[in-house]
Amino acid sequence: MTRKLAGLLALCMLMALLAACGGNGANKPTNGGNTPSTTAPAKDKEQPSGEKKVIKMLGWKQSTNNTVIESINKKFEEKYPEYKVEYVTTAPDDEYKQAYKTRVPAGEVDIFADLSAMRLSPSDWTPGAKVPDWQQFIDNGLIQDLSDQAFIKNYNEADIKDGGTYQDKVYAIPAGKVAMGGLFYNKDIFAKYDLKVPTTWSEFINVNEVLLQNNVTPIAMAGKDKWPVKLAAMNLQAQLLADGNQSEFIEGLWKGTSKFNDPDAIEVLEKMKTIQDKYTINGFMGIDYGTLTSYFTGEKVAMMVNGVWEAGAVQAAKPDMNFGYFPLPATDDPARIKLIGKYDMTWYVTNNGGNTEGAIKWLEFFSQPEIYQEFVQATGFLPVQPNIATTEFLDAEVQPYMNNFEVAYEIKMINRDNIGQHLEAEGIHTEYLAPGGEFKTAKELADVQQKEWEAAAPK
Amino acid sequence: MYPFGRGVTRLWPYLLFALPMAFYLMFLLGPSIFTVIYSFTDVINIPGKAYQFVGLDNYKDIFFAGNSAERIDSIKRTLQFTFIVTIVQNGLALLVAVVINQKLLGDKLYRSVFFLPVVLGVAVVALIWTLMFDPINGPVNKFYSLFNYSDTFFGSFTNSFGYIIFVQIWMYMGHSMLIYLAGLQSVPKDLYEAGYIDGTTRWQSFKKITFPLIAPAFTVNILLSIIGAMQTFDIILATTDGQFNSRTMAYDVYKETFRGSLEMGLPSALSVVQFLFILLFVIVAIQLLRKREVEY
Repeated sequence: MTRKLAGLLALCMLMALLAACGGNGANKPTNGGNTPSTTAPAKDKEQPSGEKKVIKMLGWKQSTNNTVIESINKKFEEKYPEYKVEYVTTAPDDEYKQAYKTRVPAGEVDIFADLSAMRLSPSDWTPGAKVPDWQQFIDNGLIQDLSDQAFIKNYNEADIKDGGTYQDKVYAIPAGKVAMGGLFYNKDIFAKYDLKVPTTWSEFINVNEVLLQNNVTPIAMAGKDKWPVKLAAMNLQAQLLADGNQSEFIEGLWKGTSKFNDPDAIEVLEKMKTIQDKYTINGFMGIDYGTLTSYFTGEKVAMMVNGVWEAGAVQAAKPDMNFGYFPLPATDDPARIKLIGKYDMTWYVTNNGGNTEGAIKWLEFFSQPEIYQEFVQATGFLPVQPNIATTEFLDAEVQPYMNNFEVAYEIKMINRDNIGQHLEAEGIHTEYLAPGGEFKTAKELADVQQKEWEAAAPK
Repeated sequence: MYPFGRGVTRLWPYLLFALPMAFYLMFLLGPSIFTVIYSFTDVINIPGKAYQFVGLDNYKDIFFAGNSAERIDSIKRTLQFTFIVTIVQNGLALLVAVVINQKLLGDKLYRSVFFLPVVLGVAVVALIWTLMFDPINGPVNKFYSLFNYSDTFFGSFTNSFGYIIFVQIWMYMGHSMLIYLAGLQSVPKDLYEAGYIDGTTRWQSFKKITFPLIAPAFTVNILLSIIGAMQTFDIILATTDGQFNSRTMAYDVYKETFRGSLEMGLPSALSVVQFLFILLFVIVAIQLLRKREVEY
């Protein structure tokens, strides 16, 4: 009898616990459905300072970005004392993707930035393509529609259309553009050996050869994190694939008219192999992105493959350094030189975090030209609002190439689901080439890529 | 007979255990059951979203999708990892434990030195070895250069997994060693004395006395190594982040769950497969190890 009673008691306690837990979980989606202003007071426990409504913001660690966003948050809180911004950051890239994938659906975020613009949305010519996270979020009603907000007009129409519009509605604000398909170069070293900024592939090879003859290691690249290698490769892709029309190449992949082992795609791999084998610092496959810049500022190399966002870090590490930036040329026709890039930091406002209204207020505050100007100056992004001054470095080194600016392969490419590792993350992965990798020739890698592409085709 | 008294007070132990039991059911058993259920569905990580049962589709994806060769590689790598780590780690740990147990001068110091990596934690260990294995300025490559050899270590497609195995063994060897030491302390000294009178050699007394009598420690260590090795993903995450041919099953589960798409079906199926593998290995190991445990 007593045993039964004990069991019953235990069961009761368990039920009570489960009910409490289940109740919380069940509340979340309904919160998201209601208007945020009515649910906000119910979330009192998340408001430590009593009256203040918390705006939960998620971002990734990058010192210059974090500093300027914190400063903007401070100004925002001064202007709107009823709000408090809680800015949480995680490690960049994969860690960050992990963070927003778990926290946004759980209703723990009011505003967050994606690492790039809306992209990779399946088209009618891409049957069975991977549906990106942002699209699943929007399709399931987690993201706030911003179409009617007045501050949208502060931005260039084309950029909002390319970077934040889905099914004719604005869901996101791209905070800026970055160029990333070029190399930083040490102007003093270039001057010492009488070298000019190369505008063709042959000139580029010549620069490297002259440096080698003078015992200067030409290039540093961060192979350990893989993606920094992709930056250089993507600049070659933009110029070489389908004679400089990579969109046609990508569509051709899906339709079967172009292949990863076509001569133009192989040329990209071969030129990357030349750069990696001959001109890049020995053991670059062991260099991680965090230490890459120290090789450049420490003058161990004359050039560094990196995105323009790193200019601030270079200046901070060595204020007197005389450096520039140029796009990696792929052909011997200087007219075809291109610089690739992408939208960076695209803001989304969520529906289920509990303070949608505050998040929109923040975005409105952020979008004011004077605040936006501060942001762009600090991050070194290329502005997406008209009449915004950029940094000295961007004006001098990057703007001249902006006429031939193109969105990178990784942004244009729509990948297949369950794609193999030689094509994953919309990349071409030249790090698999020998000596670092297992493929002795570009052709071998290209054949494997094509095989993986076909294997992932929907059955 | 009634340690908690009679009457209602007898219920205390049940009440005390009800809470942990509830937590256990809620945070371990519940999610485990849901993982199995989810592995047969197309559920995505968005609350309130309806899902459907898709039968064995997720399992088919693991073994027959476009990139399934990589998953099979992960399984092979997991087995390789488990075998090497279990054998080498226990071999070394037993050797070190036996040596330290000889009442060496400063044996306490050796004990702490060998146990230190376990206390440090994965992040610190990974940092230490990332610095040691720095391909350009690292001390290990400077040492290698004496032999005209160099390596990119955690950035090498062919060798990175070997280095991960090395770090794993370096890290947990002390843990196994401590369990062996505890086992060795419990072996009655008079058995050795009896053996000494009978004229046993050192090897004989190890083989016939020490080894059989530390069988329980041996069983515990082997099981811990197998389970630990098959579940390892933290050291991989911290050193190569699954790149350079270093993914294992456990890393795949993590990667698919948190960094892949929002779909939860496939990672659930992967966890189930991983669980079955561990279960199989543990059952086989227990069968083999139980046989050699002796009573004295």
